[in-house]
Amino acid sequence: MTTGSGAGSGPGSGSATGFSPDRGPDPATGSGPDRGPGRSRIRAFGLRTRLLLAFLLVAAVSAGTTAALTYREARNAMLQTAQDTAVTSFRDQVQQTAFGLPLQGGEDLEAVLRDIARKGKPHPWVVFAEYGSIRASSGENPVSTVITPELRRAARANPHGSFERVVKDGVPYLTIAMPMVFKASPDSVLPSGLVLYAVMRMTDEQVNVDALLMAARDGALPGLAVALIPGLIAARSVLRPVRELRRAARSMGSGRLDTRIPVRGSDELADLARTFNESAAQLECSVRELREAEERARRFASDVSHELRTPLAGMLAVTEVLDEDADHLDADTARAVRLVSAETGKLAVLVEDLMEISRFDARAAELNTDEVDVAEAIRKTLHNRHWSDDRIRTELPDGIRARLDPRRFDIVIANLVGNALRHGSAPVTVSLRTETRSPSPPVLITEVMDSGPGIRPESLPHIFDRFYKADAARTRSAGSGLGLAITLENVKLHGGTIRAGNPPGGGAVFTVEIPLHAEGARG
Amino acid sequence: MRRTRTRRRARAVAAAVTAAAPLLGACGIQETDVIEAGGPASFQAFLNRDHDMLLFFRSPDGGLSPVIRTTEPSAGFGDEYVEPGSADQNSTDTAGPVPTEKAVLALLAGPREEDRAAGLSTSLPATRPGGTVEVEPPSNGKVTTRLPLALQDLNSTALHQLTCTIAYSHNTDGQVVVELTDQDGTSRTGTCGLAPRNSGEAPAEPGPSTR
Repeated sequence: MTTGSGAGSGPGSGSATGFSPDRGPDPATGSGPDRGPGRSRIRAFGLRTRLLLAFLLVAAVSAGTTAALTYREARNAMLQTAQDTAVTSFRDQVQQTAFGLPLQGGEDLEAVLRDIARKGKPHPWVVFAEYGSIRASSGENPVSTVITPELRRAARANPHGSFERVVKDGVPYLTIAMPMVFKASPDSVLPSGLVLYAVMRMTDEQVNVDALLMAARDGALPGLAVALIPGLIAARSVLRPVRELRRAARSMGSGRLDTRIPVRGSDELADLARTFNESAAQLECSVRELREAEERARRFASDVSHELRTPLAGMLAVTEVLDEDADHLDADTARAVRLVSAETGKLAVLVEDLMEISRFDARAAELNTDEVDVAEAIRKTLHNRHWSDDRIRTELPDGIRARLDPRRFDIVIANLVGNALRHGSAPVTVSLRTETRSPSPPVLITEVMDSGPGIRPESLPHIFDRFYKADAARTRSAGSGLGLAITLENVKLHGGTIRAGNPPGGGAVFTVEIPLHAEGARG
Repeated sequence: MRRTRTRRRARAVAAAVTAAAPLLGACGIQETDVIEAGGPASFQAFLNRDHDMLLFFRSPDGGLSPVIRTTEPSAGFGDEYVEPGSADQNSTDTAGPVPTEKAVLALLAGPREEDRAAGLSTSLPATRPGGTVEVEPPSNGKVTTRLPLALQDLNSTALHQLTCTIAYSHNTDGQVVVELTDQDGTSRTGTCGLAPRNSGEAPAEPGPSTR
């Protein structure tokens, strides 16, 4: 690849290294570097999402824990104060009251209870009295529905004041049970069997607790929102270098080895960027050296063939003259002259082939396409080479038209048929057909099949290599050793593929596939 | 690999949620158990030791309820007490506390109208009038009372009623051992033990114990 050929988005970018050409027909796989950009930038569990989630989680846990603990402590303290106030004031109130024993139910008792209820702290409460079978209250119902059996049992079982918080129909109540005793003597008391209960709605407390909860929530939620900002900044500071790195890596992959990343700061990502830049510089350096060496080698081959061509042209002219005059020479001299003439001709062919290959390597080969009737083109090729006798069979349906470079297609067909005649054996079949495969455009398929022994399996992978001799014993053949390599290059120039194989019926078959409309190929 | 990592992450999230749940869960005002808060409340009961006596009746929940009964007034109730004359003689001076015999007889006579109104009753059997109660002078903290009843027929509540009435009649604190005997010679000994536990030494279990 010469300098400046750039992006190299084509089938040729793979063959840029060295003289060993692609052995497989794979022009389509060269477009790897362009695969990435379709991915979306925001992913489900990308770095940004994860960082944001981590920040949010930390913020949520800390804010939530703080808010919850504060809330709980404040609520408990508030409830405790309310309860203690209520219990203490209830006890104080009832201790100032006098009852006769046995207790007399009725209006008087209710009046006393109402009196106690009115002085309730922190809120008015409803007072219930239970004595024997007497049930009285300061309210409307003589028996409370809120007081639980557990509280009753506790008040009856041991003479202690006790309270219980009850939630009934969503309303919290404080229920206090106060077993009443009286002094039987100055220093002893006796349970009277009377138990007074106070039931207080804790609506104010509930309002306050709800306010606390709201305050805790209103404090915690903005904290979460604020935590998003450092999260986003952190994600950005990590993601931007990563994105740059990715872009640079892709750009390098597509051939721009001079890509560098700006190094910011002194963190690990900056180190990574610096390392990337150093590696890129080294890579660029070694690739440049390789290319220069390759360039030198290629130019050498090209120069040699050019330098050889001029003297060869002269030699050819001389050998033609010598050939004509050979009949007049004595036998030994005539044989030597003919040998020199033949070898000079081969040398000329070799030089021509070398120059052709050099043009391919230098990417100087051009495709001059024209709409042709393929069957007609093949028939012309065979006719021009005088292969019109019964060594050749053709299956050429008329009417197949394709955009081809006629000269290069001629070379392809001639090389394949000549190769088949040389290394296989007659008859050689040339067939032509088209085929449509749904995702790709229709292709023109040309097959050249001989009736020889076929290609040895170990030779198959190398059959298109330059100067590869399938028959090791025969070091010198009629061909230049570049025929199939040139054929491969020509087919690739058309954007097509070529492969060799041994069909079950014997012989060797070469299959050329060229898109019917070769505009897409490089040219 | 990837699945285990995802699972581990899911587990961490679940753990965090589990840890946060109790913090968030206890919102609002919760119910509580029954919580003890200080001692009982004492009230003014108009108990005058000089002419009031404490009788113990059965309340509907099975416990004992003390009732204050005044001896002084009401000639109308006179015959419920055993011969006013002898009572006067027994209680040699009027300034002293109500004699125990009187209290026991009043207890045996059963609850009055106002007591019944409050749902109080007695477990003692109705006694025929004219029975006598004898109280022996206390000796080393024990009061022995002879009753006109068959003790074997009484249940524990009835015995408790008698014990407490005698104990509180005899001693203002009720801290005395009471021995009950009947004509047949059967006897029961016990303490009242109704006073709250914070009043001193651990009381004996309520209810008389059989000797």
